[in-house]
Amino acid sequence: MTAPVIRLTGIEKSYPGVKSLDNVDFAVAPGEIHALLGENGAGKSTLTAVMGGAVKPNAGTIEYLGRIVAWRSPKEAQAAGIHVIHQELALFPELTVAENILLTEQPRGPLGLISPRARLKRVQTALDSLGVSIPASARIGDLTLADQQMVEIAKALVGEPRLLVFDEPTAVIAGREVDLLFDNMRKMRSLGIGIVYISHRLDEIFEVADRVTILKDGKLVGTHPIGSLTRDGMINLMVGRRLEQIFPPRLAKPTQGRVVLAVDRLSAGDRVKDVSLSVREGEIVAIAGMVGSGRTEVAEAVFGARAVESGAISIDGEAIPRRGPRQSIGRGVGFLTEDRKAQGLFLGLSVASNIVAPALDEITRNGLLDRSKESDIGRRQIGDFSIAAPSPDTRVGALSGGNQQKVLFSRWARIADRLLILDEPTRGVDVGAKVEIYRIIRSLADQGVAVLMISSELAEVVGLADRVVVMAQGRVTGELRGDDVSEESVMRLAVHTQDRSMPGTIQ
Amino acid sequence: MTFTQSIVRRNRLAPSYIIVTVLLIALVVTGAFVSDRFLSWRNVSNLFQQMSVLGLASLGQTFVILLGGIDLSVGSIVSAATVFLANFLEWRPDLVWLALPFALAATGAIGALNGYLSVRLRVHPLIVTLGMSSIIFGASLSYRKEPGGSIPPGFDVLAFGSLWGVPIPAIALFGAFAIAGVWLQRSRSGRSLYFVGGGFENARLNGLPVTRITTGVYALSGFCAGLAAIFLVAKTGVGDPRIGASLTLQSITPVVVGGTILAGGRGGVFGTFLGVLLVSMLNNLLNFSGVSSYYQWVLQGVIILIAVGLRDKGGES
Repeated sequence: MTAPVIRLTGIEKSYPGVKSLDNVDFAVAPGEIHALLGENGAGKSTLTAVMGGAVKPNAGTIEYLGRIVAWRSPKEAQAAGIHVIHQELALFPELTVAENILLTEQPRGPLGLISPRARLKRVQTALDSLGVSIPASARIGDLTLADQQMVEIAKALVGEPRLLVFDEPTAVIAGREVDLLFDNMRKMRSLGIGIVYISHRLDEIFEVADRVTILKDGKLVGTHPIGSLTRDGMINLMVGRRLEQIFPPRLAKPTQGRVVLAVDRLSAGDRVKDVSLSVREGEIVAIAGMVGSGRTEVAEAVFGARAVESGAISIDGEAIPRRGPRQSIGRGVGFLTEDRKAQGLFLGLSVASNIVAPALDEITRNGLLDRSKESDIGRRQIGDFSIAAPSPDTRVGALSGGNQQKVLFSRWARIADRLLILDEPTRGVDVGAKVEIYRIIRSLADQGVAVLMISSELAEVVGLADRVVVMAQGRVTGELRGDDVSEESVMRLAVHTQDRSMPGTIQ
Repeated sequence: MTFTQSIVRRNRLAPSYIIVTVLLIALVVTGAFVSDRFLSWRNVSNLFQQMSVLGLASLGQTFVILLGGIDLSVGSIVSAATVFLANFLEWRPDLVWLALPFALAATGAIGALNGYLSVRLRVHPLIVTLGMSSIIFGASLSYRKEPGGSIPPGFDVLAFGSLWGVPIPAIALFGAFAIAGVWLQRSRSGRSLYFVGGGFENARLNGLPVTRITTGVYALSGFCAGLAAIFLVAKTGVGDPRIGASLTLQSITPVVVGGTILAGGRGGVFGTFLGVLLVSMLNNLLNFSGVSSYYQWVLQGVIILIAVGLRDKGGES
């Protein structure tokens, strides 16, 4: 093998009381896509930060392009050609694409003034070479997340990188956008750039990676060529235990339970056009589709958080008269939103108060809160959902992502005894927590709850749902059930009427 | 950092309280050295007398800041209420029983309008209350340019009287903070305030009546400003359209010093109480030492920066 772009040897990093990285070796060859895999807290982010100069290791050496280096700052690493593309993009939403990409090296015209024309031209060339049709003059805030990510990549490429680190880039994009990203990653690979790719989605790793390095609890488990691993083998290495099955068994035959949710010819805004679907008791129905296909908007309309233009939504055969989240909650409908920080949890408040938030009635007596009852509920839910929190008074912001998600589940599972709407229920949680969450979803359905789930992860849609409703551009393009459900069949419907006349402006 | 560690770190007693308490002890010790009269009952009751106006205004501000907002109309509302009270009571001293509830209802209504407008127009409360402040200030000035009016005899008992040896303004202040503390911690509406402060959209999706809560909380801030005005007019005996001008920003100081974060959702009235005590005791001590009021401002600024700068920012983002 050719000399690696970067070689980390015996890297150690300790924080008070914990070893985040323990004697880790890691190397990336030029022209290689190297996946970094591990549960949350395994040390992936710390290792990335060590490479990118954001964290100084306590021990070990970093050899970059054949020289031993000790980064003093991320800026120094970046100047040397290492770019980390973080999950949370570092773009200025109010500036244009061109301004963002050439942030520190604006082309100058006569008199030393910035030349907007030269800037636009240079950036447009860079974007075109990535195969994306984003106008260089567009404002970042107006772009979809997928396009913003492309801008971030273009920004990295302008600096002529030797090593690119992608930290969970596909958490916010789906379908065709993922394909485009992978095409570009392959293109960069062919240019001899070393690429580190972090993702929780195993299918993607099989699709794009050349080698895989697995971390567990800060220690190196091993580095393997992708061809020598199976999906189960990979999970096994990552969680250190055998997972019999990721997904619990589906319903044996189509349910004849009562229809809980009936949506009839619903239209709402630009994103929801003439949508009809239904969910029965005990059934898990998934809405699949690209990001921006109108999935989330349907869920919001069902919950009463979005204005409806026409069509009917009924719960248990009755239309909700004055629609709003409160009325929906009153009828046993819960909505687990995709953005658990902005639209889900109150991070500054305790686990218990987060759990009872939509059901204050239950613990109110004469206008006063019954705090002991609140704690009891909290304690029970912590037990039932095996949330790793020492007490119901623990602040939710102090919990890990997977446990925060379980707090959300435990909140809505109590209240939603008729219909539970789940928007990206496993976003940003590790494989171990995912498996637990899948079990929770199925057991809720087994108790008779109708579940409407939205997911960008095809494996999840295929593995968990009894029925799949596929949307594209605001319309339902098909419905699949039983053996008809496969990643290919869902994908075909998801791109069904996708019209590329308006590229990059879907969201 | 491990999971348990982060819990331990974030769940220990909010260090703002500790910082402010340490500063308070330092002030008391210094005061005892400066003058033996500093810790006399007379000076302590004097201190509580001075605290009441700032304390009540800050109490209202605490609710609004917990909600993630801010109320820049506090000063103008206090000024306007003193103008109304002093002029009305000069005209009809016998109608005290009517004037006080009316003043409180009016200031509460102005606050409610602040809250309602900021939700409905989707304008940041900073702008709404700034606009409201300007309107009220202009209106009071057009009515009375100079301080004027008077209060009926006996009304000043609210400022200078005492009950069983405890100054009446102190009783009012303690009472208001105690009620507020219980309300925030134990009532459904108090809890809802924290929810809305923790995330407006989030609270809406949890089925909470966000418009009603916001309107109510700003109304409460207006009401507290009205209360502050009653104690202020009892002390000064006149209505002054400019008297509250500096109170707006002053009312924010104890809140942030006491550990309530400007982003909302975290903090409480106990911290504000300590903050009010700290600021008032500092000014009282400096008066004792004969330090010019200019330096009082400087030191007050230093105290803010110390208290807020040193505290644990864990989980504030």
